[in-house]
Amino acid sequence: MKTNVAVFLGCMSVEHEISIISAVQAMHSMDTNKYEIIPIYVTKQGEFLSGDVLKNIEEFKDLAALKEKCHPVSLVKANGRVLMKYLDNKMFKRQMDIEINVGFPIVHGTNCEDGTIQGYLEMLGLPYVGCDVLASALGMDKVIFKTVLTAADVPVLPCVSFTAREFSANHDTIINQIENQIGYPIIIKPANLGSSVGISKVENRAELGEAICLACSFAGKVLAERAVTALREINCSVLGDVDNCEASQLEEPIMTDKILSYDDKYRSGSKGKSSEGSKGMASLSRKLPADLPQSKAEEIKEIAKKAFVAMSGSGVCRIDFIMDTADNDKVYVNEANTIPGSLSFYLWEASGIKYTELLDRLIQLAFKRERNRDNIMFTMDSNILSTKSFGFKGSKN
Amino acid sequence: MDIVLYISVGVIAASGLFALCRQLQMLQQSSYYPSRYWGWLKGAIRVRTNLALMGFLLFIGSAWPSTTYNRCVIFVLAALSLIRIKLCFSDRRKSIKKLVFTDRIKRTFVAAAVFLAALITVGILLGESSLDQNSIVNAGFLQYILFTICAFFSFIAPATCLVAWAITYPIEQMGARWYVNDAKKILKNMPDLKVIGVTGSYGKTSTKFILGRILNEKFNVVVTPESFNTPMGVVRTVRDKIQPQTQIFIAEMGAKNKGDIKEICEIADPTIGIITSVGPQHLDTFGNIETITSTKFELADWCQNKNGKVFLNADNEIIKARSANYNSVLYGTTETCDCRAENIVYGPSGLSFNIISGNSEFKVSTKLLGVHNALNITAAAAVALDLGVSCDDIAFAVSQLKPVNHRLEMKSYLGGSTLIDDAYNANPEGCLEAVRILGSFGDMKKIIVTPGLVELGEKEYECNRRLGEEAAIYADIIILVGPKRAVPIAEGVKSRGFNEENLHIVQSFAEARKLFTPMCDNNTVIIFENDLPDNYAG
Repeated sequence: MKTNVAVFLGCMSVEHEISIISAVQAMHSMDTNKYEIIPIYVTKQGEFLSGDVLKNIEEFKDLAALKEKCHPVSLVKANGRVLMKYLDNKMFKRQMDIEINVGFPIVHGTNCEDGTIQGYLEMLGLPYVGCDVLASALGMDKVIFKTVLTAADVPVLPCVSFTAREFSANHDTIINQIENQIGYPIIIKPANLGSSVGISKVENRAELGEAICLACSFAGKVLAERAVTALREINCSVLGDVDNCEASQLEEPIMTDKILSYDDKYRSGSKGKSSEGSKGMASLSRKLPADLPQSKAEEIKEIAKKAFVAMSGSGVCRIDFIMDTADNDKVYVNEANTIPGSLSFYLWEASGIKYTELLDRLIQLAFKRERNRDNIMFTMDSNILSTKSFGFKGSKN
Repeated sequence: MDIVLYISVGVIAASGLFALCRQLQMLQQSSYYPSRYWGWLKGAIRVRTNLALMGFLLFIGSAWPSTTYNRCVIFVLAALSLIRIKLCFSDRRKSIKKLVFTDRIKRTFVAAAVFLAALITVGILLGESSLDQNSIVNAGFLQYILFTICAFFSFIAPATCLVAWAITYPIEQMGARWYVNDAKKILKNMPDLKVIGVTGSYGKTSTKFILGRILNEKFNVVVTPESFNTPMGVVRTVRDKIQPQTQIFIAEMGAKNKGDIKEICEIADPTIGIITSVGPQHLDTFGNIETITSTKFELADWCQNKNGKVFLNADNEIIKARSANYNSVLYGTTETCDCRAENIVYGPSGLSFNIISGNSEFKVSTKLLGVHNALNITAAAAVALDLGVSCDDIAFAVSQLKPVNHRLEMKSYLGGSTLIDDAYNANPEGCLEAVRILGSFGDMKKIIVTPGLVELGEKEYECNRRLGEEAAIYADIIILVGPKRAVPIAEGVKSRGFNEENLHIVQSFAEARKLFTPMCDNNTVIIFENDLPDNYAG
């Protein structure tokens, strides 16, 4: 009997396409002797579709045709099991419901990676891969993320944060505050997005206002932090859970622009949609392992694990660091990706763990979390209200 | 149309169906073995049985011929049947282990209902037919015969129960065979699944749950729920709970007759076995200890044949004597064991001890009460170590253990008192052990409520007497439920010079509760000891 794994991809997020690339890659690397892969594609409109064609990246070029080849589905819980039901069943053309044993969300960005899909699977009672609702949500709000890490003594760059509404009401006050507390050059970021969408680096007051307006168009909350100019970016992936986690080899992405932009991150070496280029994070130019002294690398790995535990992570997370070469190579955690592009498999292959094994371990971690939960509930399966045998009602007498 | 007769017969039949519920409850508690059910039945003749018999005789005398006087009698009989229905409801309320409306019970009930309805329907059709009314075997007489049969089964509910069992038996067998094959197929499709069988006269349920909890640290585990330990219990667990990701299946295996364990092994196909104990439990069905031992060792034989391993309790002399023939791991408290518990410290808040296996030694602590649990934990730890669970994981899991319902389960009770609920314990040694736990509660007031030990064959008297002796030492107040086993217990109690004012013998658990409720305060510890299902409460 194979374990039925529902791989979720797509979703109503700006990183829809990136998710497709990550997920298709993963589906091709999964151990099919052990796992039966059931892709569930969430369209930009939020419909759930399933079908084997979803395992082929080429099919995604024509979304209308793809939709025709798939079946609309829905997940339901019945008799303690989670079933995928086909919504287009006809009288004489019925498809059997498929039992899902574990969910594997490979989606990026708001409306999915931020705890949304995790909450949905949680309600269904389906074990799922990766961070739970809390950790996912933390990873999605950079301001709250910084607050939590600061409390756990993990180094982060201090920031000034405000909502779009506050900015529009107190335009000048906020700009002054940023200038005074941080000073140029400054980085402006939307608080709640993954990837690098809406991020800009500014050198003066004029650019600052413009950059904030841009960021505000992507998110209701924006933050400003010091731009480290003599900068190296270092990424580290962490695998495991709070009880037991390990850090991968470090990578150093090679920057083509001031900041690793959306284009850099997901379309490097390609012009738009050619499938050659659709390899996601895996094909980005980088130094792997990053060229760092042993002690520095170890320090970064330790901080990465500390950050992972502080946010109570699970599964695989990529922790992105900024290293200030002008200040003694001091490192700061920049952000955490709770579902990193390509699941950061390339970092694990460099650390001696094949992608197939990584996926296997991720799925087993999902079951482990489920077991820990069951353990806590172990003797609660009897309904307290039905305990009549040794009557607590006797206390009335 | 003889409306009065038809309605009366209908009401009487309906009351029969209500009365059937109590019989089905006992049939269910006898695991659907008519022999065991019969065993209960023989001892259960009561006032009400005699009343029902009188009702039946009255029916025979007055259902035919159809005079006005006779119809009046029948009508009164039907009215009295309504009282019977009322009694059935209060019976159900008072039961400790109630009838569970499983599908099988529903099928059996429907079979009984159809059987009675068929008798009535054919009777009515005959009466209304145009058969020759003048011949000797005329329609009215035939109707009378059918109604009398129907009345017989209505008044004598056990007869209906056995008929319904007989009607459904072939169907149940067919269904069961299909389920067994389905479960086997599921297990066959999972070549990587490790199956662990747990058997023993006592301690198997606790050991099973403890092992399940420990292995959960590393594997996806499925455990047969509650004290499911029959072939059908295993089949049901496999079909309902085993999932593709399951890595370990722990099956409790119970036996009341020779061959029972082998039968479960044929379904579950374990490669690891644990034998927790061999003792005189179910001696009445086994006959002698030798048969019990070889039945438990059917599990060891099976695992041996599959190149597996058995984990044996070396503290049990009978098991130890046989262990040499097997590829076994011995666990226990003695030096020679492969995995042993040492420095056992216990009190009202739990147990702690060291587990030593090979080169590793580590300390575990648990909230579970009772020294015997140290042995159950050691058994589970031995298996877990063998499967590669780390000492740290084992120690953590042990610290998280919670008692199984009604097995030395400590909770707060009436008037702030402390209850030790050990109502599902059936092990003579375990019962003595539980009574001794009272000793660790200092100068609190100690109350024991127990119906005594059952199903122990010829040793029953002896065991109950010893229970009495032990209770006299540790308890301040002793309440015995049901007069049958009270005799040997009371004898044991008195032999220790216990103040007889504090020894009470009551008829039912409800009565016991009336007695102890005013005694309970926050300086009281009360223990419910041993099996209290209805089967034996009387």
